Amino acid sequence: MIGTLIRRETLDNLMTFRFAAAVFIMLLLVVANTFVLITDYERRLASHNEAVKMHQRQLQEKITYSAGAVRVDRPPNPLSIFNVGFDKRLGNEVRISHGSVPSLWDANMHESANPFMDMFASMDIVFIFEVILSLLALIFAYNAFAGEYESGTLRLVLTHAIGRGEILVAKYISAMLCLIVPLLMSLLLATILLTTSASISLNNNDFLRIGGIIFTSIAYLSVFYLIGLLISAATRRTSTALMSSMFIWGFLVLVYPNVILTVTPRPEAPDALRTSAFNQIESIWDTFDRERKHYLATDDFPGEDWGYELKGWGSRGAYFLDNARTLSYTYRSTMDFEGFGEEDEPKMPHAQKHFGFLGAQTIDAADRTWLIRKPTLEEIFIQPANMERIWLKLSPVGLYDAATQAWAGTDLLGIRDFFHDARQYRQSVISYFYDNKVFESRQWFSGDKGAADWSGLPQFSFQRDDININAKRAIPDVCLLLMINVVLFIIIFLIFVKSEV
Amino acid sequence: MIWHIAKRELYDNLSSLRFALATVLLLGLMLTNAVVHLREHPERVQRYRDRVSQYQNHIASHAANSLYDLAQEGPGNLHKKPSDLRFCAEGGEAFMSDRAWAGHHRWSTDTLKSFWILTYPSATPNRDNVRPDVTKVDWGFVIGYVLSLIALLFTFDSISGEREHGTLRLTLANSIPRHTVLIGKFLGALISVNIPFILAVLVNLLVISTSSDVHLGAEAWGRLGIIFLIAVLYTCLFLALGLLVSARVQRSAVSLVILLLVWVVFVVFMPSTLVSIAGKSTPSGPTFDFSERSWKIHGELRDEYSPRRHKEAEGSIKRIQIDGAYVTKDAEQQERLHEERLNQRIAEVHQARTITRISPVTIVQNLIESFAGTGFERHLQFLENVRAYVREFRTFIVDTDSADPESLHIFGVRTGMSQEPVNREAIPKFEDTLNLSKDFNTATMELLLLMLFVLVLLSGAYLAFVRVEV
Repeated sequence: MIGTLIRRETLDNLMTFRFAAAVFIMLLLVVANTFVLITDYERRLASHNEAVKMHQRQLQEKITYSAGAVRVDRPPNPLSIFNVGFDKRLGNEVRISHGSVPSLWDANMHESANPFMDMFASMDIVFIFEVILSLLALIFAYNAFAGEYESGTLRLVLTHAIGRGEILVAKYISAMLCLIVPLLMSLLLATILLTTSASISLNNNDFLRIGGIIFTSIAYLSVFYLIGLLISAATRRTSTALMSSMFIWGFLVLVYPNVILTVTPRPEAPDALRTSAFNQIESIWDTFDRERKHYLATDDFPGEDWGYELKGWGSRGAYFLDNARTLSYTYRSTMDFEGFGEEDEPKMPHAQKHFGFLGAQTIDAADRTWLIRKPTLEEIFIQPANMERIWLKLSPVGLYDAATQAWAGTDLLGIRDFFHDARQYRQSVISYFYDNKVFESRQWFSGDKGAADWSGLPQFSFQRDDININAKRAIPDVCLLLMINVVLFIIIFLIFVKSEV
Repeated sequence: MIWHIAKRELYDNLSSLRFALATVLLLGLMLTNAVVHLREHPERVQRYRDRVSQYQNHIASHAANSLYDLAQEGPGNLHKKPSDLRFCAEGGEAFMSDRAWAGHHRWSTDTLKSFWILTYPSATPNRDNVRPDVTKVDWGFVIGYVLSLIALLFTFDSISGEREHGTLRLTLANSIPRHTVLIGKFLGALISVNIPFILAVLVNLLVISTSSDVHLGAEAWGRLGIIFLIAVLYTCLFLALGLLVSARVQRSAVSLVILLLVWVVFVVFMPSTLVSIAGKSTPSGPTFDFSERSWKIHGELRDEYSPRRHKEAEGSIKRIQIDGAYVTKDAEQQERLHEERLNQRIAEVHQARTITRISPVTIVQNLIESFAGTGFERHLQFLENVRAYVREFRTFIVDTDSADPESLHIFGVRTGMSQEPVNREAIPKFEDTLNLSKDFNTATMELLLLMLFVLVLLSGAYLAFVRVEV
């Protein structure tokens, strides 16, 4: 019996104009946007490759170690086509230096990026689904019960020996079948377009991630279909159901995500926290500075000049660099000489010894700074943002967005993985420097006896996380979506069972 | 007769569910907008005032030293004045810098100091912003997205619904021309959509103008009036679209599906999709970053001048002249470099904005921005003001220097210029201004485009309705 019901409902839905419109609009939007998004991704990838090459070249051109700036670049994520998340927004190059531990707040944007273009909203496939799927689900649902109440066919169906639960299940299954068709068709086309693009190579894990996105999309679709069913069962009139659905859609999709954060108080970490952390960091570097001066005053070489009065051809500079907002503090000393006169030769061993001492001290100070900086940054920047994210998750749209970001790896955690890798890379660069006695070498500050050899430096490569980690991050939100589904279903069942026909 | 029909439509709508929901939605949004504006605007104005006084102190301290100091240091940071009507349109202000820096230094040697140049620092609020990304709820959002959706929900069944009920046949059985019916329906819907909107706008303005922190001048009220008229025009566009589809389609449900999909495509997706198309392609060949390019040009100039400089004796007039030429030429070159980069970026944004004009929501948001004095056009106006001021400042330096008989009138070097302190009152002060007539020029094209859209859709609705079979 339930089979007959499902077949009837499915046929009813398939023959309607709205089904044709749904298929047409989904295919049109998704295909058109995938094309645009792929070109956009290719452009970003090209700009990334340019930047990598440029940083390589800039490094190779430096003849001394102290003048070279090792920079690593964050490649664009191919799955940002599905949900762009933070992929375009946050900084995509960061400097690896022994004097500071790199973090998200030290990152820069590539030079080629136009900062004005940020004022235009960027878009992705999940955004299309967010808007269109919810709208279509409501359009399919508004007259499911209300229409049958009005036309009296529900009474006719109930005269048969059939449970109300079965009718509900049949309606749900058939409508979901019809809604999933355009969803899967458009996603399939999008994936085909992705695989045919030469610049995008997807591995098995990526396909699993796309699978996760598809599953989350179906859960999201189902939530909105059930919301529509609930309205339809509760209002009993098609025109009222339609108007209520449309306004609820407008509220959930258009209004709530944009308004809620301005209405709720902005969670701010107290300024005192930042100030006290910054003071601690300052004192670390004050101690560092004292020790540095102490060394210069007490070593074998007379005078306190950190450059050991070397008079060569080139430039030198030493300065502290701090930013109270992001709590960064570092000491940079660069000495970039091409050659020296005869009289400088006896000073060399002293200078080399000094730079060896300075390198170790700087690394130590930077590591201690990071110990204070890391928890404070977490508290100042990450925790308020997470609070805001929880507010957004009160709407299914927010849940869907968060879950798909986690699948795609463009969420905050996914981006922070890169900086985690960058920190590890800094460690390996430092151990390379130690192993090869780079700080004590003459090449640290002078290129006259052979230039700095950058070829032995460990290579940086950023591997996105395993699919398991993506899943672990996405599952809570997906589960919440599924739970909303179950709760809505039970409510509809109760209303429908108790309703008089 | 038109009024009779309009009145009937209006009464029908007033008691409907959609009217109540629309009122609640619009009131809520506009109230939020007002409260947020009252929270943020006083801080913004205060910050601007503080910065302006910083700028004036900066100028005064250098003017007290000597004309050379003032000419070498430059006027410093020039700040953009925040608009009082920021609540009407946010206009991506966060992504545009609120200052231009007329005092950028690059190098100094034992004897020479580089002259200041005008640079355009860019605002990158997103680079380390980990907060979730949301659209600001301003008038532009309420009008562009919410009001247009409401307009469609009010008209999707105005003709097809009557046809379904058979009342259309009844109406047309009377001796009323069809266009009268159409215009009556249009006016009825226009009034019923505008009642909640006007209500919401009034509440919004009431809250804002009763606060003592925010002052709206006569000009601001004029601008608000124009923005309101633009909103009405924009509503007409969607009402006409609703009538058109409603007249062509037999059933209301189909009409709604079509209208919603058209709305979603044109209003929600078009703007952001088209922007991505307009992005630039990356250049081929080796890339140099900006500072590298800047130093390269500087290096070339130095190599050109240094042999000539060292030929002359220290302190001779000839040496001062060469030094002066070196410094001024360097400043000119570097400023041109910054200017070029800015122009390139602006051209890119212009291209993107031209393409997105296909979408009515972008047109209306651009219009609201230009009348609210925010957004990109306003930023260009600010840059124009900055350049005009910089010219004025440089002329002032030249004039003051030529008035000093002891000066050698050679710019760029301390010994070549006047050493007298400058009267701080005489120095031109930068004051950022908003100019309505300038705004209107940029806006006219978009206004005409919007009107064109409305006319086309209205005549389409008329044709569709005249030919309809009842």
